[in-house]
Amino acid sequence: MDRTPLTTKATPVVARGLVRRFGDLVAVDGIDLEVAEGEVFGFLGPNGAGKSTTVRMLVTLLSPSAGTAEVAGFDVAREPNEVRRRIGVALQDAAIDPLMTGNELLRLQAIMHGLGGREAQRRCAELLERVGLTAAGDRRVGQYSGGMRRRLDLALALIHRPEVLFLDEPTTGLDPTSRQAVWEEVRLLNDEGTTVFLTTQYLEEADQLAGRIAIIDGGRIVREGDPATLKEAVGDPTLRLEVADGSNLDDAKAILETFGPPRPARVGRVAIGLRGGTAALATVIRALDDAGITVGHVEVDSPSLDDVFADATGRRLEGAGE
Amino acid sequence: MTATLRSPRVIAVEQTLALAARSVRNTAREPGAWVPSIIFPLLMAAIYSAQFARATALPGFPEVDSFLQFILPAAILQGVSFNAGEAGSAMATDLQTGFFDRLAMSPSGRMSIFVGRLAGAATFSALLAATLVVVFWLAGAPVKGGVLAALAVVVISSLLALGIGGFSLAVGIRTGSTEATQAMFPLTFVMIFVSSAFFPTELMTGWYQQAAEINPFTLIVNPTRRIAIDGFDLSDFGQAVGVSLLVAAVSLGLSLMAYRARLRRS
Amino acid sequence: MSAPTVQRSQPEVVTGVVPSLPVFGALMQRALRRFVRIPSLVVPTVVMPLFFITAFTGSFDGVSRIDGYPTDRLVNWVAAFAVLQSSAFAGIGAAAIMANDLENRFIDRLMVSPLRRSIVVLGPLGQAAVRALIPTSVVLLVAVAKGATLPGGVAGLAMVYLGGMGMAVVMGALGVGVVLMIGNIRAMAIVQVFGFVVLFPSTGQVPVQLMEGWLATVARYNPATALLATTRQGFLGPVTWSETWPGLLVLVVSSVLFGAFAVRQLQRLSR
Repeated sequence: MDRTPLTTKATPVVARGLVRRFGDLVAVDGIDLEVAEGEVFGFLGPNGAGKSTTVRMLVTLLSPSAGTAEVAGFDVAREPNEVRRRIGVALQDAAIDPLMTGNELLRLQAIMHGLGGREAQRRCAELLERVGLTAAGDRRVGQYSGGMRRRLDLALALIHRPEVLFLDEPTTGLDPTSRQAVWEEVRLLNDEGTTVFLTTQYLEEADQLAGRIAIIDGGRIVREGDPATLKEAVGDPTLRLEVADGSNLDDAKAILETFGPPRPARVGRVAIGLRGGTAALATVIRALDDAGITVGHVEVDSPSLDDVFADATGRRLEGAGE
Repeated sequence: MTATLRSPRVIAVEQTLALAARSVRNTAREPGAWVPSIIFPLLMAAIYSAQFARATALPGFPEVDSFLQFILPAAILQGVSFNAGEAGSAMATDLQTGFFDRLAMSPSGRMSIFVGRLAGAATFSALLAATLVVVFWLAGAPVKGGVLAALAVVVISSLLALGIGGFSLAVGIRTGSTEATQAMFPLTFVMIFVSSAFFPTELMTGWYQQAAEINPFTLIVNPTRRIAIDGFDLSDFGQAVGVSLLVAAVSLGLSLMAYRARLRRS
Repeated sequence: MSAPTVQRSQPEVVTGVVPSLPVFGALMQRALRRFVRIPSLVVPTVVMPLFFITAFTGSFDGVSRIDGYPTDRLVNWVAAFAVLQSSAFAGIGAAAIMANDLENRFIDRLMVSPLRRSIVVLGPLGQAAVRALIPTSVVLLVAVAKGATLPGGVAGLAMVYLGGMGMAVVMGALGVGVVLMIGNIRAMAIVQVFGFVVLFPSTGQVPVQLMEGWLATVARYNPATALLATTRQGFLGPVTWSETWPGLLVLVVSSVLFGAFAVRQLQRLSR
């Protein structure tokens, strides 16, 4: 193995054979992970899949039962304080003291990360501004809405300019508008160069934010890669077609099946798995046209992350959990 | 359906008994709820009788064989208040879980809910008092008046539970919060302290003495203590039972008022 | 306090835990703020000592007339007991902070920060010590109103506050440890019972000479008795080293023991 690092900075997250047992229960069952600098890594899985347990090990809240993990270049078990200095963490429950004001919490967080005096003051004001909570800064957090809490939590995680940001289900339970606001902020942070490790049970969230994802189920990683490649790997998109009045559906079917295997479709329609993906669509239409068949309605459904999940686990993620 | 043929009164009695049984059963199932009500008073009694042993010789102290003998009613009072105070918390839980609403919709009416709960507390307190009487007897402080006096002490104890339990019910119904109801306990503790339970009022002074003398607990403890020490006496028994029932009536009235207020609110 | 030198965020330079003193200050400030912001916490802190001193002196007023009782004013003897009892309650109350932090997972925020673990425990204990000023002062005021002359002078007063604040820290540490061990607020009741069971069989209300049998033995060797003697110097005076060191020793040993226990329980959270 090459001993000289390619860059001066260490790989943000590396896990090798990470295991966590609670008594007889194996919550995380030998996970290997690598997150590159500057990427948004999405960790996708249903409730109870082991997402949070993995994150808790990576952020030094839980010791691994076996395996190793390095975050920001330091071993989570041997040098936890080095790791803690370099990571920002926003956990699922937005660990927040309802009796404190947003400002007070930020100041406390600053001191807990060794920032003091003017610098801390400036940073707190800057972060409140950034997450749009300047006006609410002196109100008690107990009066904040769910969305405000998440935004404050995000600001708290950023106080010491972390190298790696861990977001554990950052939008679970939020309304669509608040969800958008959090997404915007994550994108912005990533644009500024922060590496983000994000867990989510929402396919859309992973699709929207993550450059690369890992799907976890039953404590194991079942798929890993960038969303587009993963979807492609599931197979060809489904093409569904209806013919216009006066054209023969069976003729259309015969032509279509030269472009891919038939798939189940409801009466009056024909469906195939379109070889070559969406790119082949034009050729298909042209072939039909040449045969004198008029197309009434056509749709091409790309595989979704849910299809990826279903392909990997045999179950659907969408609609589960919550 | 047979239920429609039976009189509401019969149903009410049945329901009351069922609820009383439920409350006794629930208490028994949770040792955390009743073990302290035996251990705690015994511990206090043991410590106080060892440290105030010589106080029994003070002029003004009632004629007793030992401080332990003197403190029996205090131990019972403490145990009963520990236990009966739980009635309100249990009621608050019933309110929170909706069990109460289900009962309130049944034909037999609301009284059975209160009476059932209190009857449970009374039953438990009688058992508790009997246990304490036996333990004190084994420890060398028997009830002098024999079985009849001991029985009287047990009866008074169970009536006492009605009053204390009733107040706790009132708070439980009014607030609907187990926490608020449990916060009542220190108040009962203060009431016990500012009474003749631990020390004779004759040896107190000033306003404290005056407060202790009019404390209903004193009015119940004193005759009970005389029965335990000197033997059964009808007028003492009458006083203890009378005051206990009076307190119970007031507290049950408060519970009903709290209940009506709750109905208006919801 | 002068501002520390500005640390630019250069992760390669800063290592290990952050300096503990500012963090301790901030965590204690947080704990105190919490105390003031919940009125239901303040009220018992004032009412409990009032009750203890009033009840101990009121109910057992006659006790001081027993032959051989060391003082003719009961308050001089039992005030120290009231100080320790009510401070113990105030100290246990500090453990509620930990119970709350466990409940709303604020503890996670503390644990992912580069702090010395012991600081997480010390914050609530600092609050316990400050909070104990209230019951101690209340008892002192009532005692003076009841005729206590405080012959121990300033040194004696210092002993009273030492006893109260020390007791609060000891019970607070135990409370925090048990809360962390059990994981919920129910732990507080256990610690309260423990405090009661330790404090009552002591010389809180009468001296050993007046006790009978088992209690005399228990009270003599009860560490609470030593602490009572130290505290009582404020009411009976004068302050002497021989009456001071045993109580001091009890405070030091028990707070170190319970503190270590609490930190251990805290570390156990991540296992």
